[in-house]
Amino acid sequence: MSSRRTTGGRIGLIISSILVVIFVMAPIYWMLATSLKTTAGVAAAPPQWFPIPISVENYVTAFTQYDFGQYILNSLIVAIASTVLVLAFGTFAGYALGRLPMRGRFTIMVLLLIISVFPAIALIAPLYLLMRNLGWLNSYQALIVPYTALNLPFAIWILRNYFIGVPKEMEETARIDGAGPFRTVWQVVLPMTLPGLFTAGIFAFTACWTEFLMALSFNSADAFRTIPVGIALFGNAHITPYGTIFAASAVAVVPIAILVLIFRRSVVSGLTSGAVKG
Amino acid sequence: MSKNITQALNIRGALRRKRSVMKVAAIATAVATVAVLSACSSGGSGSGSTSAAAGNATKGSITWWASPITTSGADPRTVLISDFEKKYPNIHVKLISAPNDTDTNRATLTTQISGGGGPDVFMGDVIWPAQFGAHQLAVPLSKYLPKSYWDTFANGLVAGATYNGEVYGAPFFEDQGFLYYRKDLLAANNMKVPTTWEELVSDAKTIQAKGQVKYGYVFQGANYEGATCNFMEFLGDAGGTVLNSKADASTLDSAAATKALTFEQSLVTSGVSPQASSTFQETQSMNAFSAGDALFLRNWDYAYSTSQASGSAVIGKVGVAPMPNFQGQPTPGYSNIGGWNLYVNPHSKNVAADLTFIKWMTGKDAQTTLATKFSEIPTNAAVRSSSAVKNANPVLAIVSQTKLIARPAQTPNYPEVSQAIYSNVNGVLAGSLTPQQAIQKASSQINTAVKNGGL
Amino acid sequence: MTSTHVAAPARSGGPHLGERRKKDVYRRTMARLGWGFSAPALLVIAAVTIFPIMFSVVMSFSNVNVLGSGFQIDGFTLDNYSIVLTNSTWQYALVFTIGYTVITVIVEIILGTLIALVLERLVGGRGWMMAMLLIPWSLITVISATLWDYIYDPIAGVATQILSVLGFGHPVILGSPASAIIAMMIADIWKTTPFVAIIVLAGLVMLPRDVYEAAEIDGANGWKTFWRVTVPLLRPTIALAVLFRVLQAFGVFDLPFVLTQGGPQNATTSLAILGYRAMFTDLKFGPGAAVATTTALLVVLGCLLFLRVFRSQVSETEM
Repeated sequence: MSSRRTTGGRIGLIISSILVVIFVMAPIYWMLATSLKTTAGVAAAPPQWFPIPISVENYVTAFTQYDFGQYILNSLIVAIASTVLVLAFGTFAGYALGRLPMRGRFTIMVLLLIISVFPAIALIAPLYLLMRNLGWLNSYQALIVPYTALNLPFAIWILRNYFIGVPKEMEETARIDGAGPFRTVWQVVLPMTLPGLFTAGIFAFTACWTEFLMALSFNSADAFRTIPVGIALFGNAHITPYGTIFAASAVAVVPIAILVLIFRRSVVSGLTSGAVKG
Repeated sequence: MSKNITQALNIRGALRRKRSVMKVAAIATAVATVAVLSACSSGGSGSGSTSAAAGNATKGSITWWASPITTSGADPRTVLISDFEKKYPNIHVKLISAPNDTDTNRATLTTQISGGGGPDVFMGDVIWPAQFGAHQLAVPLSKYLPKSYWDTFANGLVAGATYNGEVYGAPFFEDQGFLYYRKDLLAANNMKVPTTWEELVSDAKTIQAKGQVKYGYVFQGANYEGATCNFMEFLGDAGGTVLNSKADASTLDSAAATKALTFEQSLVTSGVSPQASSTFQETQSMNAFSAGDALFLRNWDYAYSTSQASGSAVIGKVGVAPMPNFQGQPTPGYSNIGGWNLYVNPHSKNVAADLTFIKWMTGKDAQTTLATKFSEIPTNAAVRSSSAVKNANPVLAIVSQTKLIARPAQTPNYPEVSQAIYSNVNGVLAGSLTPQQAIQKASSQINTAVKNGGL
Repeated sequence: MTSTHVAAPARSGGPHLGERRKKDVYRRTMARLGWGFSAPALLVIAAVTIFPIMFSVVMSFSNVNVLGSGFQIDGFTLDNYSIVLTNSTWQYALVFTIGYTVITVIVEIILGTLIALVLERLVGGRGWMMAMLLIPWSLITVISATLWDYIYDPIAGVATQILSVLGFGHPVILGSPASAIIAMMIADIWKTTPFVAIIVLAGLVMLPRDVYEAAEIDGANGWKTFWRVTVPLLRPTIALAVLFRVLQAFGVFDLPFVLTQGGPQNATTSLAILGYRAMFTDLKFGPGAAVATTTALLVVLGCLLFLRVFRSQVSETEM
């Protein structure tokens, strides 16, 4: 974009940035503030704007009364494994479906669409049957395999889109230089589509992190529970402990935030270098 | 040229072969699917009925699916399990913590049991026996446990767990609606605890007018099962019913039902109850009462201990009484039955051990622990009327004085019946339906439901 | 009609045959490579989804009774579909879900693009902004719904408080159909606009610089540049975002489940809620599967229509 920045433009940018931050963070602030309130504070009417007195009892409850640490670990294992698989399979499939002269590419893309569109609710009972017959109930693979399968269509669509956007000359140069197709993808095309990888990866991870119904049905054993299922156990039939729930989910956001912050540098550099090269 | 054609044909042939391979694969999958499905349906209609329970009654390892009962302090589930295992050291019980939402519970249990798996014993809602019995998702316990066992329970509970002559669940602990009141405010205004709705309304109006409290009466009227519970209490008080004795037709369209719903509506329109009652579940009504904003609260038995927990604004100011009735009717009014039963999975490999567990959990020791340590209402009649239990807390003391009414759960289509009731009641409370319209709509929807029509 | 990427273009007539054969061989090798590359992904997807989807479709065409011993499936019948299509709640759910999808997606696209534009102009701090954007997206949907349930709480909710301070009395936000629907949309928009913003941002950043430089030289100002240059180039990215948001919005479940349980009076009953209710509350798997299948069909038809319109933008190298 233009490198000229008028003062008006700069002020406008700052104001809009602040508005964006408020829009995004206001409910998050509310969630964090509530997690730090006492039980009476949570139920207070009118609501307290600031958690006074501040109390960490909700955090303590989440980790001591419930095995929340284990749930976080399980979610991490399942989400990371699924994301890695999704990116690995999806990259090559996306490249193939975007670049290589396969017949019926569009049909496959449409089929992928149909599959990703089918309401997951209808899939749970037969999938449970499948898992049970495979003996996979209460295991990590019971979730990793379905999550991979169900997140691949979207990842393939995204990655394919980015692969199409890569100029063909780069690949042809690589081919002339004698690189095989695998290396072409790995060393030439992939670095240019890092934003796409990041996008697909973060969405796959988040979908796995937040999936509930399958995790509940397949992995009901406490040792394999994931975070969404764990949070559903807070409270009892008549009591919804907002404070504890928000405390737990505040903690559950941290791994994602860390991941994003870690990859933020490579993403930003990927984004800007892509722009320069483009 | 011909070579090219051959090549082209080869390519096309290869593609055709590839496509036909895919076609074959598709057909194979379809065949496999049909094969699996027919295998599913030819598996027989549920576990065969044997007169003696399979498995070993004193040895084995079973899983117990139960949602959290309390939210703080000791966990009754683990306490009871450890007590049980002391008595029966060769039976190991593994607790599987279940989600709190009863609908989610049912969804998961259905998925697992119909898929051939699931826990051995599960704690389920009292409104499940008909539905679970009709779908063979629970073992008919009356096939294994004699009448003498079922006679140990308090009145009405076993009937609620019966479907088509078989008892599907063992009542574990019970719950019912109570009227909680601010004894400090009543005393300050020289009022006694109301025994009729009319008295309650006038007391509330007086005290609200004085500005001593924000709301007169808070209850549950949101678009969920709890609204059915509340409405059943009003309906019973007015003398109405929902289903006929065969549970195949609606009897809801009556003057009694209209009277009940009109009264419930008037609570909101007169300002005695907050306008937000149409979004109130237990949490909201409890919070309002614990914060000191309400004079009367209708809630389950946990409300007493919650109102006396630290952080509450009404510690020492709360009394509990049976529900009121309409003027001219015999007091007390009706309390809706809630609570939980213990069910056995038809796929359980050790039904005998499951039954041992269930018998112990509904026996004297476990029931007394539940009542005295955890303030739950026991289902065992003897335990319920024992003085130890009666003195445990004010709620348990008045359990014998209440009059009970069950929800119309004798039909396997109960969820649809309940939805017909609560969504229309909710409509009245939200102001979008008149009581007459609501009763008529509900009645016709109930008729559709019990005839197995509808979605 | 397949476009080929050949290293050396065919030149003179004589070696025509050889060149074409080389091209064919090359194409076949590349095609086979393509299948090889996509095989793992396609196999995993097929293995996990084909059986359940077919199971579901078969169920929708039969009389199903879910029993403890398994699914009792007999007969071929169109009854499930006739029950579903003539059911007034389903008809409402269809209209509601479509309307909900259209409105939320439109708002999210607009808001998301605006946010992406702001982010794109930021040089420093873009990474932090992106991380911040991901927080609503990373919240578990049920948790986000619970958060908004708390925000809309009629007694302790901050939204209720703000509205009554602004003079709306004691609003019961989730109590009446219209406000419940709007409240639900706001919650959904809040959670998923970041999704759109990130997709659009990534697309924005990959746009070739020279186009902008050329436009600047031509003297085009900010807004004109935006409409005449950026938007057309962004079409495929936005189309992708629209496509997948539509898919998700059509399946909206967690928000109505937590906020209103489909009420008041089925005002927020989406197709997914209806399907769940039919299957897992009423234990009627036949009609439930019919709801699921019709939903899938509708979405697919909608997407195919959409793709036909945006075909040229989305799939550049198609036949």
